[in-house]
Amino acid sequence: MSGRITRNELLLGLAVVAVLALAPVALNQYWIRVVTKVLLFAVLASAWNLMAGFCGYPSFGQVAFFGLGAYVTAVEMVRFHVPFVLSLVLAIVLSVVFAVLVGLPVLRLRGHYFAVATLGIAEATKQVVANLAIAGGGEGISFPLPPWTPEVTTRVFYYSMGLVLAAMLVTFRLAIRSRPGYAWRGIHANEEAAQVLGINTTFYKVVAWAISAFFTSLVGGIYGYWIGFIEPNSMFSANVTVEMVVVALLGGSGTLLGPLLGSAVFEVLSEVVWAHFLNVHDLVLAVLFGIIILFLPGGLITYVGRGGRQVRRAVS
Amino acid sequence: MLVNGLLLGGLYALVAVGLSLVWGITNIINFAHGGMIMLGAYVTFWLFHLYGVDPFLSLPVSMVMMFFFGLAVHRTLLHSVLKRADFVFSVLLLTFALEMFLSNAAALAWTADFRSVTVSYAGTSVAIGPVFVPVVDLAVLVTAIVLILGLWLYLTGTKTGQAILATGLDAEAAKMMGIEVDRIYAVTFAIGSALAGAAGSLLAILTAVNPYFGGAYTFRAALVGILGGLGSIPGVLLGGIVVGMAETAGSVLIAPAYRLFVSFVLLVVILIVRPTGLLGSAFFGRMESE
Repeated sequence: MSGRITRNELLLGLAVVAVLALAPVALNQYWIRVVTKVLLFAVLASAWNLMAGFCGYPSFGQVAFFGLGAYVTAVEMVRFHVPFVLSLVLAIVLSVVFAVLVGLPVLRLRGHYFAVATLGIAEATKQVVANLAIAGGGEGISFPLPPWTPEVTTRVFYYSMGLVLAAMLVTFRLAIRSRPGYAWRGIHANEEAAQVLGINTTFYKVVAWAISAFFTSLVGGIYGYWIGFIEPNSMFSANVTVEMVVVALLGGSGTLLGPLLGSAVFEVLSEVVWAHFLNVHDLVLAVLFGIIILFLPGGLITYVGRGGRQVRRAVS
Repeated sequence: MLVNGLLLGGLYALVAVGLSLVWGITNIINFAHGGMIMLGAYVTFWLFHLYGVDPFLSLPVSMVMMFFFGLAVHRTLLHSVLKRADFVFSVLLLTFALEMFLSNAAALAWTADFRSVTVSYAGTSVAIGPVFVPVVDLAVLVTAIVLILGLWLYLTGTKTGQAILATGLDAEAAKMMGIEVDRIYAVTFAIGSALAGAAGSLLAILTAVNPYFGGAYTFRAALVGILGGLGSIPGVLLGGIVVGMAETAGSVLIAPAYRLFVSFVLLVVILIVRPTGLLGSAFFGRMESE
């Protein structure tokens, strides 16, 4: 088995990219924004999935990287007048460094201990940011307005999210079929056995954690600039973490495309149905969360796989 | 500062004892612990607000209500996923979903406003040496310690209590001794829930509560539990006091806003240096989650 991307994958990928690239022609502003959100949560859920689904380390603190990405970008742009792209790069560097420093001790923990520690990371980061004057404290901070017309702005953010998702998919696809991917699955299956086989488990866990933080903070920065105003309670909200987890589980964790499917289904459903019931949004989210765990442990992707096999059998 | 830390510590010990017991005995971590604390707090608030019931008298009510709530949660929700190979993960997520459901349902039913219980004797203080301590704080501390000691006596002194400890020690062996392990797990979970309810009632006396206030206590409870050694009752008392002292010191020396941050640093340090907790033994501090 080689890590190379096969011709079928390449064709499928190019077809999807073509559809998404041309989509803004057919969609109005509202739907472009909805699809942007689908792309955003596809990235967030995939990043969570890399840790939970592939390595077996379900993190409850991913939102810390999301919030850091947005906040560091905002502070540089507002306080030091650094251009957006450069701010974003610095924000990612900082988040990855933070991830590695925190990851070294925290990734030694397992199961419950890891979950609790990551929950603590998110809460502690929120408290620190909420009390930093430079970050606007509890009141939040406003990004400068993007220099384009509203129509162009919508498209810029749409294409940026799309590009990030594409880059992330290629990275993950190459990684999971090569050395790191085998190490991650080894860690998931049996960490002691992986160690005995000579795999430097700590190294590969930190690598996964850093990649996860890289993409999470990257879309965090883009998202912050997109919505224009950020405050600690919304950027570091546990609900964002929950949404990542729900999306990943709905689609199917431990698979490459599950989180994408989950994001498309969940975000569109969320827009269409729950736009009418704003105040029970989180309640419905919680109920859905419970239903998925109780009745859909493999996620929707298992049904897609099953359906696909049945179609193929029927054709042949 | 010392007295404040001690008061806070006693309270944290009670906040944590239910979670630690359930975690140590059944290897389930209940992320909805904070939600149960919140429900207990609202029981006390409504009884006080509507009928003028003294918060200390409403404590048994919220404990009984949360006991049966916990029993129902275990029987209906958790029971179905406990047989799965990855039950640790499933239970984590399921209780996380429950936590979300509880806080959002409470916000819908009772609004997200902060509510507080102000008793007539809130202003009175007693002198302990050179410092004046509010009577309410002292009563809360005493109640918390009495409840924790009561649990300790129950676990060591009664048949069901010993069955709970035996199940925590070795579920297979307990089963062979004729203990109905499933029933013990459910009862343990219900006791943990009742203790969360009690902690909620006491918290309602000291601080303003809203539907989301429990979340931060789930993390603190886990921290105190790990510090003390999971399932260890004396450990919870010690862990609570250590966390209470550390947070009080952090508030004074750095800033009150960094309390949770201090706790987090403490957690990381403890997990690296002594993952079985301060009083944890091989039995109580199982590192294996499988």
